[in-house]
Amino acid sequence: MHELGLTKNIIAIITEHAKGCRVKRVSLSVGPQACVETRALEFCFDIVAAGTVAENATLEILPASGDTFLIKEFETEEAA
Amino acid sequence: MCGTCGCSDTANAVKITDLSTGATQTVREGSILNASRAEQDHHAHDEEHHHHEGDDQPHRHGPGGEIISLETAILQKNDQIAERNRGWFEGRGVLALNLVSSPGAGKTTLLEATIKALENDIKISVIEGDQMTTNDAERIRDAGANAVQINTGAGCHLEADMISDAVKTLDPVAGSVLFIENVGNLVCPAMFDLGERMKIAIISTTEGEDKPLKYPHMFRASELVIINKMDLAPHVDFDEKACLENIKSVNPNADILLLSAKSKDGIDQWLSYLKNQLSS
Repeated sequence: MHELGLTKNIIAIITEHAKGCRVKRVSLSVGPQACVETRALEFCFDIVAAGTVAENATLEILPASGDTFLIKEFETEEAA
Repeated sequence: MCGTCGCSDTANAVKITDLSTGATQTVREGSILNASRAEQDHHAHDEEHHHHEGDDQPHRHGPGGEIISLETAILQKNDQIAERNRGWFEGRGVLALNLVSSPGAGKTTLLEATIKALENDIKISVIEGDQMTTNDAERIRDAGANAVQINTGAGCHLEADMISDAVKTLDPVAGSVLFIENVGNLVCPAMFDLGERMKIAIISTTEGEDKPLKYPHMFRASELVIINKMDLAPHVDFDEKACLENIKSVNPNADILLLSAKSKDGIDQWLSYLKNQLSS
């Protein structure tokens, strides 16, 4: 339902924590009661990530319990 | 999804209108995460939460770069502000109730009836959420309560920071009830905590008895379900038993009240429910 807005939140949080490093993977934990359509999230992710530190990053969605909706972790690229 | 309606879009300005003065202020130019300058000052204390999350961040080294463990709730900012609202309400002894329903289920009519019935009894103030117009807040003011209208523009729900701004204008007194009439929408408001004591879902007999099955998240998030427009039930072949079963099947713990805000049938039960909540 809010996947575009939520994806913007995700990218904003990642950008804040990545401190300028390129991000190559983002892992989310999403529970069945989170009211989140994961396919819509995947659809939005590439669009919102374009032009940010997370451009071309892969999105991994891990099943979780209840209404869990977390950014579990993210992985940065090796500094050149 | 809100890709179509544009929630959290930067172009989405949110406005608050104080019905007692007619003054309108823009509280947000866009998404809370892309806050305008004024709002950053306003929520300066939010920023502080993030300073200490810097260097001691848990991380490990992956095959290429670093893997940074966050475990960060994606709605964290909203939830933090909601908790602050909740503390403020509890500290002041204000009962905050978040009314959710589809458009036209009778939220405003129920509030009008409630305000009139309790005018000598309980002080009531109302935050009205709609995309456009101050019509509902005007109805509430005409019924005799203080009201603030929030216009969400393109947005389809209220968020916690809007409530914290609106409450500063309304300044509800101790021992009063604050109704938050959310934007008419059975989907998105389920997800956003505003700091309320509870969500109350309202459905009307004209909507059909399967609404709880179609929109289970909202009914699961609500502690009380009000079935409104019971005066119309015989005319629209409303299956009361099926409706009650459907509510119970998605939320076995929900309290249920049947009433008609228009004919006032059943309204006494609702008033005593409110008084019980206020004293507990």
